[in-house]
Amino acid sequence: MKRVLVTDDANFMRTSLRMMLERHGFEVVGEAENGMVAFEKYKEMKPDIVTMDITMPVCDGINAVKLIKKFDPDAKIVMISSMGQECFVKDAILAGAKGFIVKPFKEDYVIQTLEKL
Amino acid sequence: MTKELENVMEVEEDTQKGKYLTFIIGKEVYGIEIKYVTEIIGIQQITEVPELPDYIKGIINLRGKIIPVMDVRLRFKKEQREYNDRTCIIVVEINDISVGLIVDSVAEVVDISENDIVPPPNSSTGFSNKYINGIGKIGEDVKLLIDCNMLLNDEECENLAMIS
Amino acid sequence: MTDNMKREPMVEMFIFETFQLLDELEQSLINSEKESGFESSINEIFRIMHTIKGSSAMMLFENICGLAHSIEDLFFYLRESKPKNYDSSEITDIVLCGVDFIKNETSKLENGMELDGDSSELIYRIREYLQSLKRLNGEEVAQEDAKEPDSGEQNPSKKYAISLCDETASSKSYKYEAVLKFEEDCEMENIRAFSVVHDLKEVADILYCHPKEVLEGEGDCEIIRKEGFKVVFATDLGLNEVKDRLSHALLLKSLDVYVLSDDFSTESVKDYLKDKDESEKGNASEQDQKEASSNDGADNQKINDSNKKNKNENEEKHGSVPSNANSLGKQSVISVNISKLDKLMDIVGELVIAEAMVTQSPDLAGLQLDNFQKSARHLNKITNELQDIVMSIRMVPLSTTFQKMNRIVRDMGKKLNKSVELEIIGEETEVDKNIIERISDPLIHLIRNSIDHGIEEASERERKGKPPVGKLVLEAKNAGGDVWIIVKDDGRGLDKEKILKKARENNLIHKPESELTDKEIYSFIFMPGFSTSDKVTEYSGRGVGMDIVTKNISMVGGSINVESVPDKGTTFSIKFPLTLAIINGMAVKTGRSSFTIPTISIKKSFRVKDEAIIEDNNGNEMIMVRGEAYPILRLHKFYNLDTDITDLNEGIIVMVENDSKVICLFADQLLGEQQVVVKALPRYIKKVRGIGGCTLLGDGSISLILDIATLINIKEV
Repeated sequence: MKRVLVTDDANFMRTSLRMMLERHGFEVVGEAENGMVAFEKYKEMKPDIVTMDITMPVCDGINAVKLIKKFDPDAKIVMISSMGQECFVKDAILAGAKGFIVKPFKEDYVIQTLEKL
Repeated sequence: MTKELENVMEVEEDTQKGKYLTFIIGKEVYGIEIKYVTEIIGIQQITEVPELPDYIKGIINLRGKIIPVMDVRLRFKKEQREYNDRTCIIVVEINDISVGLIVDSVAEVVDISENDIVPPPNSSTGFSNKYINGIGKIGEDVKLLIDCNMLLNDEECENLAMIS
Repeated sequence: MTDNMKREPMVEMFIFETFQLLDELEQSLINSEKESGFESSINEIFRIMHTIKGSSAMMLFENICGLAHSIEDLFFYLRESKPKNYDSSEITDIVLCGVDFIKNETSKLENGMELDGDSSELIYRIREYLQSLKRLNGEEVAQEDAKEPDSGEQNPSKKYAISLCDETASSKSYKYEAVLKFEEDCEMENIRAFSVVHDLKEVADILYCHPKEVLEGEGDCEIIRKEGFKVVFATDLGLNEVKDRLSHALLLKSLDVYVLSDDFSTESVKDYLKDKDESEKGNASEQDQKEASSNDGADNQKINDSNKKNKNENEEKHGSVPSNANSLGKQSVISVNISKLDKLMDIVGELVIAEAMVTQSPDLAGLQLDNFQKSARHLNKITNELQDIVMSIRMVPLSTTFQKMNRIVRDMGKKLNKSVELEIIGEETEVDKNIIERISDPLIHLIRNSIDHGIEEASERERKGKPPVGKLVLEAKNAGGDVWIIVKDDGRGLDKEKILKKARENNLIHKPESELTDKEIYSFIFMPGFSTSDKVTEYSGRGVGMDIVTKNISMVGGSINVESVPDKGTTFSIKFPLTLAIINGMAVKTGRSSFTIPTISIKKSFRVKDEAIIEDNNGNEMIMVRGEAYPILRLHKFYNLDTDITDLNEGIIVMVENDSKVICLFADQLLGEQQVVVKALPRYIKKVRGIGGCTLLGDGSISLILDIATLINIKEV
């Protein structure tokens, strides 16, 4: 069972993702409301996959990817982005994110993306 | 697991179909669809609530849940009668509203097939109980079938409350 | 997608979070406006709108989503281009309109109504404003651009993020061409392609790709959707390794890989591709040139297969039990549906009663039960603790409600051209959830009144030697078992003469005017239909209001007081019980009925001895206590109950007070005081006047809780 850390500043989004993932047999081991918390939780529980929102307070998704990648170069991070954030997604990929999902997301694609990592 | 549960529920629903709980008021036997009935209890301490129509006798404490009780006798504009150890409260639930119905006594649970139910005679023949929506026949016996919704939600209730 | 999502809890969460975010946003906006610039909070405002946009898009609320998007755009511009010329209060107005719209729609959702609001006009207005802002700042922006290229998302840097390798410079052994197609509607195909190239770059030299802009993280998604993404590269990897690597691309629908012969120069690749594009439609035979062509079909098949397999796995897992709920990293704060808390409260209430029924069971009378008593005491301790915890769960800090008032003060001040400063004290004070819901409207009303009638215009204030900025203090504090909320202004104070005049006109004065204390005079403003304002404004002075305030407050067991000093200001003090669901009550008996009177309203109870009873022509009785006459309300008469005790000397008088009005209730006897859990009357029973609910007594019988405020009002009329 893949262990996932969900990062988003909106509780609503975290819960949507959590419910989606848990329906498909992923284990959501934690939720983080910003990049810094995500980094701390990553160190603590070493999830298999991190989903990462881009626009967040305190520490945004791009910086979080950099932090996590520095700590663990093999980390698998999927960005959660909106239309219009192409530039940030590109930066995230350059920083080492494995993939991305575009909001509003389709359950199928979310699962496909995470299964494949 | 949920599927199984649903199946059980369906079966239950099925087995409830055509089943009526019959009770007695005066000389008549009335029937009420079993699916509305949640439980039958003996008469117990009733707390009067002021300013209610006479047929709402008050409220009772049903294991912490407070429900109103209706004297069906008075609802049918029959004479009040002293309650005794045969008096029962039939607790029914319709649309999430629980109400206790006070009746002289409870008789039995009977099957009445749809074919044996005829509409009540219309009021022109002098039959005036508007809470009856059918007459069920079992052999020679006749059971007056009660329209639970009408019994509980008849507008008259509100009007009375307003007058008082 | 969202359709097969469990809607209900998500809707709840959406409502909750959206309201929360909007409140935050409102605060940020108002704070920014005070600082007359958005520098500090631009990011926060942008982020909140971004979040709302995302959530509402998930819920398919397009009106909200579109509006949030346009506000996001506006703040994106403010953040990235840092325009010099803009009026922050104008922006605040526009955005607050947007906030109101979203709030309104979310309330509709909360009330189960259709989301029928149309945000298109607002969106248009915001877009227009953004345009005009851009025009206004056009030159400056252009200049800044020249100095420092804009790095925002709309204008990403022009340099190639991934560079092409000159074919001749590549030392890698094999050349391949790959065509990738992505799943339909997976969005951002250009970035997906970018991601593929980025990954490939680690093992290969990229020679060519189409569309070329992909290398910059741009490029036309339409082309990729229609034709697929083509990339030509050189690598040392074998065909299978290449395929394996590429097939890891996410949301890949199909993949074709061809081996290119060695002598393909970059130019010829282009020509070749062009040829292929044309020939592909009619003729596949050209593919024979390529060694790998015979495998194409099989490879496609393979990838499709693996996708299918994934799907099958998904379906299998779909039915399985969701993962362990006790997983690591749960949040330390969760939101709980209030109805569950109510239920918990009910059950704990039952438990307390059941405990009393057991430990005080008549069966135990006269028995020597040491161990039982010991255990009973232990049980009692636990139930008490449990009750305390449940109560504390329902407690919510007043901060959100208080912070909301900032907006009211801002809007009012702006409209009436008065400058008012709001000071908030003790916002962390916690009160019962029910109180929070009821307190908001009265507070808004009091604050509006203060600004409208209390606080003077700047010129008048200066003449009086006061600071030109009016001051409004909103304070909450705990005192004893009560919570106090105080609204205090430093305005002109209440006009005693005006109030007296109005009171005379409305026949509200029942004793010689010379005997009226200031407090009594000021209290007239709480009477129904009372307004001293000469002109009716949008905000207050419609003659309704203060009595609504009083009513709302008394509904949750509170009371209100006013003090005022001319030209110094007015202070409203509202007192609430800490909690509502469990109250201390005095049970009294009348006939066979038992009533519970909230202890908070009881002044005293006594038996009639030599107090004089006065009866007027209509049979209304009054009792004289220490020179004051109080009306008597006989419960048995009022509710038409049978009782043997009709002589005032035989029963008991309970003197109750609400809003400094006092009446005397007459009952047969006192049953005793106890904590009771307030329950609503069954819905089936329509409202009964003077009865606020019911409760279970220790013996399992039911007692009706009297609503003292209503009884007093009925008696007055």
